[in-house]
Amino acid sequence: MENSITRRTSTQRRWRKVAYGGMQPGFDDNHTDETFLEEMVMNANVVKRDMLKVMLDSVSISQYLCIVALVVLVWTYTLSSTITEKFLLVLDVTLLGSGFFVLLLTAKMLSFNLLLNYAIKISFFTTGLYVLSPIYHTLTRSISSDSILALTTSLVILHLFLHNYSGSTVKAPGALESPTLTSNISLNASIVASLLIASRLPSRLLVFGVILFSLQVFLFAPLVTYCLKKYSFRLHLWFSFVLMGTTLGCVYKLHKLLFVFLLGMLVFVNLVCPYWLIRIQEYKFEINGPWDEAKLCFNITD
Amino acid sequence: MLDFHVLILNAPSATHIESHDTKMTCFDHRMLLILPSFFSISLAIGASVSLSLPHPLSCSHHPRPLLAISVMECNEGRHRILMVSDFFYPNFGGVENHIYLLSQCLLKLGHKVVVMTHAYANRSGVRYMTNGLKVYYVPWKPFLMQNTLPTFYGTLPIVRTILIREKISLVHGHQAFSTLCHEALMHARTMGYKVLFTDHSLYGFADVGSIHMNKILQFTLADVSQAICVSHTSKENTVLRSGLPPEKVFVIPNAVDTTMFKPAPERLSMDPIVIVVISRLVYRKGADLLVEVIPEVCHLYPNVRFIIGGDGPKRVRLEEMREKHSLQDRVDMLGAVPHAKVQSVLTSGHIFLNSSLTEAFCIAILEAASCGLLTVSTCVGGVPEVLPDDMIVLAKPDPSDMVHAINKAIRILPQIDPQEMHRRMKGMYSWHDVAKRTEIVYDRALGCSNQTLLERLPRYLTCGAWAGKLFCLVMIIDFILWRLLQLWQVECKRG
Repeated sequence: MENSITRRTSTQRRWRKVAYGGMQPGFDDNHTDETFLEEMVMNANVVKRDMLKVMLDSVSISQYLCIVALVVLVWTYTLSSTITEKFLLVLDVTLLGSGFFVLLLTAKMLSFNLLLNYAIKISFFTTGLYVLSPIYHTLTRSISSDSILALTTSLVILHLFLHNYSGSTVKAPGALESPTLTSNISLNASIVASLLIASRLPSRLLVFGVILFSLQVFLFAPLVTYCLKKYSFRLHLWFSFVLMGTTLGCVYKLHKLLFVFLLGMLVFVNLVCPYWLIRIQEYKFEINGPWDEAKLCFNITD
Repeated sequence: MLDFHVLILNAPSATHIESHDTKMTCFDHRMLLILPSFFSISLAIGASVSLSLPHPLSCSHHPRPLLAISVMECNEGRHRILMVSDFFYPNFGGVENHIYLLSQCLLKLGHKVVVMTHAYANRSGVRYMTNGLKVYYVPWKPFLMQNTLPTFYGTLPIVRTILIREKISLVHGHQAFSTLCHEALMHARTMGYKVLFTDHSLYGFADVGSIHMNKILQFTLADVSQAICVSHTSKENTVLRSGLPPEKVFVIPNAVDTTMFKPAPERLSMDPIVIVVISRLVYRKGADLLVEVIPEVCHLYPNVRFIIGGDGPKRVRLEEMREKHSLQDRVDMLGAVPHAKVQSVLTSGHIFLNSSLTEAFCIAILEAASCGLLTVSTCVGGVPEVLPDDMIVLAKPDPSDMVHAINKAIRILPQIDPQEMHRRMKGMYSWHDVAKRTEIVYDRALGCSNQTLLERLPRYLTCGAWAGKLFCLVMIIDFILWRLLQLWQVECKRG
């Protein structure tokens, strides 16, 4: 051992990780030192996931799926004239009232100004919709029902695909993130879908009712559920399970095949996907090292 | 019939990079045909037909006799090298300068070098630069960020023609971002030539662009004879990205032309202290760090002035910063500095500031050190390896740390002797040394065994479960197209 060390120090200097000075004497240019890749850091930012937590988090996704399923249910019943105008308007007012109630219950920053602001905005919104409903009534008169149904289905699927399940597109008071591009696209898709369906209805009041209902749900349901989740996780879970049960019951009454499909989707989202995610997490390989582009520690303000 | 016209250009000195057109520009426009890039495949085939000489070698069916003949024709291990890249003169940049200067030094060592790149504006055809460096400006227009449109097999005819006509023994591709390089290396490999690749940049692993880039790099480097990187950090990065064995990767850094970058004959006075910044003003080069650092430094040191050369999207932010803090008389913005004027801008300063966020090897720092400036730089990528510790002050890419580093630089500035620094740089970096080390790599590459298609395909299969099979398919189709081209050209000769 000592002989080899003295032999090494007498014939060659230590290899240095430098680029100047030409070829290092005693070493080839492709010499790979023991210090090769010693500054590499693997999986520094990877979070170890817990199965139960992932399953509980996936409840938000299935909750939203059920909300959208209920909306589509209301559309179907309205199109087949099972729901009357009066019922629809009562439903709208109830939803608005309960949404406000939940916000009041859960919001930490209660202020009369904010509530007044919301109330004024909602009244403008409702008046505007009522005034514009004749336009929506005749919007797609010249287009066949098949095209409308196909377009609506694809828009609803697009909406579900791009939806921001973790936050709320309409900026909640106290939320830090601003809405992303995809969440805006999904919101627009849902609005267009509801307008298209509403234009198939026979009377103007029905049109107004359905649009008000759909827009209330698509614009404010994420906000309400987000506030509920922030307030109390147990309440959120309880609400989600009740909602899932109600939806499954209603869909069962409508069509058995759709019920099976919805049940399958909920099982897939809540049980299969978390297991799959945790299984493939072990293949995660994140590499960091001195070659990484430096991240600026300050925000660039233009 | 399509035809290329040859223009011989005069250049005054061996080290002068620019080649001047003779006063025949109007003549050029009529002489040169501008070929549209949309019908590139048919045109390339037509061009290759017109270019191919009636030479018995072009009818060869197997690459081995070709290589044997070319090695015999080359005397005493002199190689005939084809450099391929999308980035070459008349653009100026790290890769462009590297290819040009390396080619010049290889020509001096007695090798023959041919460069292949895409057409720039109306600069298309074959041109000769200093010392007989032949450049093929292939008539493909760049489509995105100076890259030609990737057509996979469209470049096969022209590459084959150039390889046969110039009796090339080795193909050397530059820069992972260049599509022409990847295609040319693929075709050269199909035809059995030995292939080399030099990587000039660092890439990440996490974003979508990098992931795709790394996959393409894996494909090209699956079957490369040797690879060269410009710094040790770059070698680690390339090995991780491509999965090459580390013994195949050589580290040969860039160098600087010390005859062009000389310090000022008289030492500048220390009042005011001038800090020079020359870089593209983009996010990647840390222009945002400059916006934070400059007002702070100007506030702390009343006798410091800044000179900022270069242009880019972030120039607006720097102008705004200048207005906001009323630094118009202390911060000069020169705009884009032509390459010939860089030395005069550098010699007007004492300190060179480099704030890039990522750098495989920073040639700008070498140029500054060769002009006798003390460098202050962010400690990213390969920058710590470039200069010894007494010529550079390193800082974290953080504004307060950089101000601290500039403070240290100002303190040690009186001890710096520009002429001494220049003399040391002459000993540390030289393009002739780079050429000699590259020659060793060429010899090693040519010593690798020849392999048939079937022996090479398993290397592509290791690239991934799906990607491996896709890459094999691409190579097989390339091989078939090459054979078809050989048959077709042989028929044309007879007809």
